[in-house]
Amino acid sequence: MKRLATIALICSFLMPSIAWAQGQVITGSVRNSLSKESVSAVSVSIKGTTAGTFSDDKGNFRIAVPSGAKFPLTLVFTSIGFGFKEVQVNGPGEVAAVDLLATSSLGEEVVVSATRLPTRIIESPVSIERVSAAQIRNSPAANYYDIVTNLKGVDMVAASLTFRSVTTRGFAGSGNTRFNQIVDGMDNQAPGLNFSVGSIVGLSELDVESMELLQGASSALYGPGGMNGTLLVNSKNPFKYQGLSFQVKTGVMHTDRRFRDVGGYHNWSLRYAKKIGERFAFKINTELIQAKDWLAADYRNVNRNNRITDNLINGTRSTDPNYDGVNVYGDETTIDLRQVLGIIGSQAPFLGGFINTLNGSPINVSRTGYTEREILDPNTLNYKITGAMHYKLTDNLEAVFAGFWGTGNTVYTGSDRYGLKDLKMGQYKLELNHKNWFIRGYTTQENSGQSYNATIAARLFNEGWKSSPVWYGEYGQAFLGAKLGGMSDIDAHNAARNVADAGRPKPGSPQFQRIFDSVRLRPISQGGGLFIDRTDLYAAEGQYNLSHLTGEFAEILVGGNFRRFVLNSQGTLFADSTGPIGINEYGGYIQVSKPLFNDRIRLTVSGRYDKNQNFKGRFTPRATMLVKLAENHNLRLSYQQAYRFPTTQNQFINLAVGGATLIGGVPAMLDYYKFSTNPVYSLNDLLAPNPSIKVQQFGEFKPESVTSYEIGYRGVSSNKKFMFDAYGYYGNYRDFITSVNVVQSIMPNPQPTDILNASRRRILQVPINSPTEVKTLGAGASVEYNMRNGYFVNVNASYDELGEVPAGFITNFNAPNFRANASFGNTGFGPSKRVGFNLSYRWQDAFFYTTTLANGTVPAYHNLDAQVSYRFPKIRSIARIGGTNILNQYYITAIANPSIGGLYYVAFAYNIY
Amino acid sequence: MRKILKARGLIMMAAAAAVLSLGSCNKNIPDPVPNTFPTQTGTSIGDVVNTNPNFTFLRAAVVRAGLLPALSDNSRTYTVFAPDNAAFIASGITSEAAINALPVTSLVPLLQYHVVPQKVMSTQIPATFPNLQYPSLLNPAPTISALLRLTTFPSTRNGAWVNNIPIKAVNTEASNGVIHTVAGVVSPPSRFIWDRINTDPNLTYLRAAILRADSGFAATSTSNLVGALGNIGANLTVFAPRDAEFRATLVALITQVLVRQGVPLATAQAQATALAATPAVFSNPALFGALPAQTVRGVVVYHVFSNRAFTNNFPTTATNYPTLINGAIPTHPGLGLTATFAAPNPFAATATVKGLVNATAANIFINNAPEPNGTSDQHYLNGVLHVINQVLLPQPL
Repeated sequence: MKRLATIALICSFLMPSIAWAQGQVITGSVRNSLSKESVSAVSVSIKGTTAGTFSDDKGNFRIAVPSGAKFPLTLVFTSIGFGFKEVQVNGPGEVAAVDLLATSSLGEEVVVSATRLPTRIIESPVSIERVSAAQIRNSPAANYYDIVTNLKGVDMVAASLTFRSVTTRGFAGSGNTRFNQIVDGMDNQAPGLNFSVGSIVGLSELDVESMELLQGASSALYGPGGMNGTLLVNSKNPFKYQGLSFQVKTGVMHTDRRFRDVGGYHNWSLRYAKKIGERFAFKINTELIQAKDWLAADYRNVNRNNRITDNLINGTRSTDPNYDGVNVYGDETTIDLRQVLGIIGSQAPFLGGFINTLNGSPINVSRTGYTEREILDPNTLNYKITGAMHYKLTDNLEAVFAGFWGTGNTVYTGSDRYGLKDLKMGQYKLELNHKNWFIRGYTTQENSGQSYNATIAARLFNEGWKSSPVWYGEYGQAFLGAKLGGMSDIDAHNAARNVADAGRPKPGSPQFQRIFDSVRLRPISQGGGLFIDRTDLYAAEGQYNLSHLTGEFAEILVGGNFRRFVLNSQGTLFADSTGPIGINEYGGYIQVSKPLFNDRIRLTVSGRYDKNQNFKGRFTPRATMLVKLAENHNLRLSYQQAYRFPTTQNQFINLAVGGATLIGGVPAMLDYYKFSTNPVYSLNDLLAPNPSIKVQQFGEFKPESVTSYEIGYRGVSSNKKFMFDAYGYYGNYRDFITSVNVVQSIMPNPQPTDILNASRRRILQVPINSPTEVKTLGAGASVEYNMRNGYFVNVNASYDELGEVPAGFITNFNAPNFRANASFGNTGFGPSKRVGFNLSYRWQDAFFYTTTLANGTVPAYHNLDAQVSYRFPKIRSIARIGGTNILNQYYITAIANPSIGGLYYVAFAYNIY
Repeated sequence: MRKILKARGLIMMAAAAAVLSLGSCNKNIPDPVPNTFPTQTGTSIGDVVNTNPNFTFLRAAVVRAGLLPALSDNSRTYTVFAPDNAAFIASGITSEAAINALPVTSLVPLLQYHVVPQKVMSTQIPATFPNLQYPSLLNPAPTISALLRLTTFPSTRNGAWVNNIPIKAVNTEASNGVIHTVAGVVSPPSRFIWDRINTDPNLTYLRAAILRADSGFAATSTSNLVGALGNIGANLTVFAPRDAEFRATLVALITQVLVRQGVPLATAQAQATALAATPAVFSNPALFGALPAQTVRGVVVYHVFSNRAFTNNFPTTATNYPTLINGAIPTHPGLGLTATFAAPNPFAATATVKGLVNATAANIFINNAPEPNGTSDQHYLNGVLHVINQVLLPQPL
């Protein structure tokens, strides 16, 4: 924040306070020809000159006539969703209101991300979806991010109300690292925590101009990552979108009190943008979201020894002494009670025989855990503030300084459930945009605040109120006493638990809070649960479009980028207790695009080279072909390679979670754990019915790559009412990054037999490249139907499939085979077209989900969102009532993630466009 | 019109979709499925005791002690060594009235000692030596530890036994355990081995030898024999040489020493007889050379097993078992035990124990009557004592 303010101050000094020469001026306003309501953000230019402006939020425009121009002049009005219009002006001053005719924009929308050049969506050579500001305005979703979920081929994992991660083509998850999110040109993956922070520090809803979703491999243009897709979110340029707007949304959740008491939902946002003079414009946005979050309350029992197949087993706290609930934390601590009974037996030999005859070996007993609600108390608070200053150095060159800052509390699912508390993320960008080139530098500053890992914190909390040696000692004595009274095993276990749990702090009590705070605020490196992440990313990139020089031959685009990660977790997440770890990465790309056969075919070839200091360099090509079958009917074919470097966590994590320690896979980490002198063995082998135990070998740790082939079609019917889109793809992943669980002796003098004894070994989870090629294939299709009377229907369905993989191979594909979306709505009907509504329905199939927390089936679910709106044109406002999951049918998007129920809201928005 | 129809159709479609999704509910995340455990139903041990006409004495005892609800509790599992009416009579309790005359405070521990808190079928009771210990419900000192239990020593060697009581009928299964009918009341021990040795007028030499063997070991030392013989945590068998034989052995030994020193045999015999006339022989400083404490200790520990050996469980062909001396001399062959049986009497007719150096096996005086008169299978809190007619010698003295 401070940084932002400082830079703002500097900029205001640098601002040239030149008064622009007051030449001749044309002013006017733009209206919708039908409703006579003002239309904002319409491009207004003077034909034959570079002069141009946009209508403001009240539909007014003011355009300076360049000195050379002579009346009569022609004003050109263009805007998506309206017909092109030219108006002749005979002299300066005010012109009569210009009425624009609303038209279908199907297929006309311009996307940039497909080729890094503005292209009509219908002519995009790769699969792409676009969400416009108008769609956001009309969507029933509580948050604009959720709209992406209804696009075809998209999977969404909701770790909490505000923590929603989208992806396409499988491999979903909150910490999904095969899908890039780029906000205003900045990669917004948190550099240390490795999740996309779009819904936390991204744009506020009122500032989103468009979202573009590239399905499938996209790193040939956007760099490492983006193997499965890229989401690009673009904000509203303050030159184009001006004025004050705000929205107040207030709602209610948990209406059936099933998981928690009824709670409120509040989302307030405000945007203000202003053009000062002809050269300078700024905007400021702020948004506050506050809610009693959804609760993850899966209390099924997990068998932690099985990390591959469905490991949800029968058993509850009172029917399994070793119960380890999915969303129960602290019960990951487990020992073989025979260790304790053995000690008692040696002190009381007359019980030795009795102890030997007890059932079970081992007799595993877990400590009593606390539920998610008790440990994380998921209450979401999210505050973000973003601002930007734009300065036109020349008509063709615009400088932008922008800052995005957000803070809040939420819950995130990664290798564990994390309570993100006072998380702070900042992104700051300096950018020069020219018609033909851009250059930008930005940084992502991460500060994990008081965030903690639920499992670690709860386990330490248990140690804090009663250490495990004491607890298990009491348990063992009481268990044996109960058995000596003739009790059944389970009764004896429950009686023993009662005894050992004597004095267990009640959640919410001052004692609980005191102990919990002491654990939660102590860094992981000092035996607490707090992770301190101050990891930063510094990035610079540039691009030059040589087409104005080479246009005759082909359109050529070149670009390059540099990134530096500075891992800094003070030993709480990464193996960086001795100091920050720097990782440099750079790359460059070129794209050549050429129309052939009278523009019936457009061929685009791109290539990219990247190098990360910890990995070998990598070249990735892409070739696309767009075939114009007929006017507005295009076939697209593409061959793409994409790859990703192992994430910063894949490289350097060093974190103990329930039952295992996650470690990075770079040679330095394997050396740190002395793999060469204290060999590790595959846990799977060890757990096999007839174990054949081999030393696990580790080869070179390489970037993962995917080769993707795709065919698609997009077409718009001649009456412009229907738009069809379909795609099919096949992807082949090589050097797939997966992980292997290995066991290693923890004894000072390691012996191979140590790994057979749970108390003499540890389990390490190490990322590796799989020698297995992982294949995915899928297809999707959508129809958009716009009726003249404002009704629209969109339907899409998609299919994704993971190819055969060997048994025991964890891919974390985590996506359903089938999903379908349908929406139906109207942006304005009724007597004066003031009423709007939108119904949005999603169904997805059941699928198997694997995570470090548990593996199990995510049931199929339906979800229906709906909203009805009423406009007040006079005060340029809109009132809305709506809800997401209005049938309040709880569903989960991933194992261990919360059950999402109905959220019902009323909203009032002023001046949104 | 067509347009309106179309719009209406769409609305219908949407409504249908809504109804569809209403109709097919999302599946909730399943609640955790509790593990189920077989519940024990049917005729309980309590029911058997309550209804079997052969257990009317036992029923009277159990009812008087207030233990019937516990034995009828199907959430618990027990093995009951159940004396039938004949067993009570054999043990001298000849009527229910006699039972009702017993104080509850002695009846409760007596009955508790007949109950093992787990189901032990006769097939699970080993026929090997030594006997395993099965804790009973009886805690002799709850204030010391809640986990303290007096243990029983069932065995299926030479028949079926619990301690030195024959089991008449095994494996009467009930819903909450199993009943083994025993031929006599299994009395819980109440005294320590040391109490017997310390007070038995026929074991005074053994007593003195033990005290001599302990010289140099503090009372708190784990090596202190008196301590072990008086410790409830110990599990021992003591072959206790009677005074007469002990004295004779000492006379012979001292004579031998004196002769070696050049004393004429007759004088030596007379001196030795005089010196060994009382147990004070062990504390006579003049004899410390002839009877070093270490030697005495070696002899004493050679008479002790670190487990319980009832004569009924002795092997019928001589077999050697280690004694406490094996702690110092691991390869020592220990003591050879044998017993003979004469049907129909289930009890051992003879039982012998042979020391390595002894020319013949020592006899155990078979008399399993309670103390003070009993001389075999004398059961104490921490072990068994048998009175024998030789001093057992681990090596030539």
